[in-house]
Amino acid sequence: MVAHLLSLRWRVLLNGFKRSTWQIVAAVLGGLYGLGVLAAVVAGLVALAFAPERWAWTAGVLGGSLAVVGWVVVPFVARGYDQTLSVSKLRQFPLPADRLLVALFVTGLLGIPGIVTLVAALATTFSWVQHPLSAVLAPFCGVLGVFVCVAASRAVETATSALGAKRRYRELMSVAIFVPLILAGPLIGLVGQGLSSIGDDLPRVAHALSWSPLGAAWSIPGDVALGRPGEAALKALIALATLGVLLLLWRRGLATALVAPPAVTATAASKGLGPFARFPATPTGAVAARAAVYWLRDPRYGGSLIVVPLMPVLALFLSFSLETTWPLFAIGPAVAALLAITLAADVSYDGTAFAAHLSTGLAGSADRAGRVLTLSLFAVPAVVLATLVPLAVIGRVDAAPALLGVGLGLLLTGFGVSSVASALYLMPVPAAGESPFKSPPGASVTSALGLYASWAIVFVLSLPELALGVVALVQGSVLLGLVTLVVGVALGAVLMLVGIRRGGRLLDTRGPELLTRLRRARGA
Amino acid sequence: MSDVGMPRPEPTATPTASALQITGLRKAFGDKVAVDGIDLSVPSGSFFGLVGPNGAGKTTTLSMATGLLRPDAGRIEVLGVDVWSDPTHAKSLVGVLSDGISLFDRLTGEQLVTYHGLLNGMSRETTAQRVGDLLDLLDLRSAGGTLVVDYSAGMTKKVALACALVHAPRLLVLDEPFESVDPISAANIRDILHGYTQNGGTVIVSSHSMDLVQRMCDHVAVIASGRVLAAGTTDDVRAGSTLEDRFVELVGGRQHNEGPSWLRTS
Repeated sequence: MVAHLLSLRWRVLLNGFKRSTWQIVAAVLGGLYGLGVLAAVVAGLVALAFAPERWAWTAGVLGGSLAVVGWVVVPFVARGYDQTLSVSKLRQFPLPADRLLVALFVTGLLGIPGIVTLVAALATTFSWVQHPLSAVLAPFCGVLGVFVCVAASRAVETATSALGAKRRYRELMSVAIFVPLILAGPLIGLVGQGLSSIGDDLPRVAHALSWSPLGAAWSIPGDVALGRPGEAALKALIALATLGVLLLLWRRGLATALVAPPAVTATAASKGLGPFARFPATPTGAVAARAAVYWLRDPRYGGSLIVVPLMPVLALFLSFSLETTWPLFAIGPAVAALLAITLAADVSYDGTAFAAHLSTGLAGSADRAGRVLTLSLFAVPAVVLATLVPLAVIGRVDAAPALLGVGLGLLLTGFGVSSVASALYLMPVPAAGESPFKSPPGASVTSALGLYASWAIVFVLSLPELALGVVALVQGSVLLGLVTLVVGVALGAVLMLVGIRRGGRLLDTRGPELLTRLRRARGA
Repeated sequence: MSDVGMPRPEPTATPTASALQITGLRKAFGDKVAVDGIDLSVPSGSFFGLVGPNGAGKTTTLSMATGLLRPDAGRIEVLGVDVWSDPTHAKSLVGVLSDGISLFDRLTGEQLVTYHGLLNGMSRETTAQRVGDLLDLLDLRSAGGTLVVDYSAGMTKKVALACALVHAPRLLVLDEPFESVDPISAANIRDILHGYTQNGGTVIVSSHSMDLVQRMCDHVAVIASGRVLAAGTTDDVRAGSTLEDRFVELVGGRQHNEGPSWLRTS
């Protein structure tokens, strides 16, 4: 049966290539790239043989720990990518859990990622050619490490597969998983730029990891070479215990999954009307309440906000690496600029459900105002906090009025502009229930241009407060800063009202056409 | 089945003979003419069935009648109010259940119906009372706190019907309201709709089910290829035969064959 499942897995993989030539081309390119990386890793491991033992040990522990983490994390990102041998598909066959565990373990090991990891793990042997005992131990420890990788990946996947069926969790994960990806840039920069300075810290990190389930197996040959046989023995115990526990967990999850299918459970019924009871009982209030529910429940909305908390992180990173505080001044205005046009895709997110607004004869301006109201409830405090907190930390509160003027001006102007924009054209957005980061079909250049155009318009309309703000900051004038604040808020508010009015009138006259396009966008 | 709490249609100032009057309605999508000169008069207080084969133009016609799709030509009046020159007034008189349109399904059932009530400008108290009544009436009370996205297809239809009813419209336009609704719920909905017409409301339903339309509707129109083939009281249209036979006769296209031989193994 093990052989059957293994051949099934490879057959499915190869059949995939039959579907299109481009898939083969992509696979060949991907394969070459992978082989290149693997060759580089092996070469590096060979080279480490001629470096001090400490380096080889550090590299082994860090690389190995990274591999384990990768094995656990990647299935989350690519969930549904390789479902060839998912338990839900195998459930209908009479397979005992133990046999299935062995079969899945072997197929996991002998898949492409498994083979790559295994080759790299075995190559650690080369690092220890000068230490015969370590060189003998290394392949065994490498295999043990790869076993931990596979077992950890499967155990976590099985344990969370039941959770994965719950929509709320799935929605949360699909957003959360992108945080490290967005942060990857600065992190890589940090590593590249600070490698020399944190070069001294790496062994310390490796030391901590070597005592954890992540790095224990990878640490053993190095410990032996560095003359710490006691530590090596203890770490072997840790690694074996880790493998055992993971296998037990996996076995248990598998047994449950085989008999009790993870039913798609509905979210727990909630009592009451939520925001509908708190917003005013007017059409505008109703739209605002509906928008509030969606901001909380629909990951597509939250997904567009995810970059906001990352702005301070980016700013901190920039100011550390450039050794200047000016990025910290820009956090508030940057958050405002990001939040300003989030409404531009609002009607597109509604999809054909927008028909409810049309068939109830809702006034277009009430539709616009309701959406702006909800966004402003958290966008305004966010901009104010993002402006004031960094300034307070670096003790430059005198710059607050100017920056607040710029930020709030951009935000309010953006509300107005996006109120018109989202009534004018549709954005290609993922449908409700899809991953917020899925790039939707037919994402045309014109729509992207529309978005950038509205952004540009926001900046052009905010030129007065932008110019005033810059002058106030350069001259260090608090008075000019206050003028900026007044101009920004007043001008922004006027533009917002005009935008809501204009956008509302557009909706009143072009609503049916907009709905027709929404229908077409969904292929209905 | 009592009709306690059923939102009764509010009386209009000027009673007209027709709840819905369509004249010379046309709509083309590119080269394809979907609606090709439809004239239709739906008498006030009638239970009107709109039947036709797939692609006949039923949904297109109903979308234009409810202000969701702009016609190329023609005139549509709801109780004497022109839908396309005074849309806000006309829409306040009409309740719509559209086919192939999604709902704001991240709301709970109760929130969704409340939303529609508030969008219609109703007060919080009236909305709350009617939402409660409708959820009871449509047997959705226990599912009121569940997200609509988690509803079954039949429950989704029912909650959409509640949304159409909540502002007590004078005219109900229901596109395929019985699709995937279980027989008991369907019977309940039929009772509700009958009670509604007896109180002076008008109901238009489109359906594929000839049996259902024949039993349920007192008036019927058969449309195909964007034209009205027959319209009038159900008895007049079916002319002594069953509606289904009459429909096939009018529309044509019935094939008489028994399928491939391997399907006839007995």
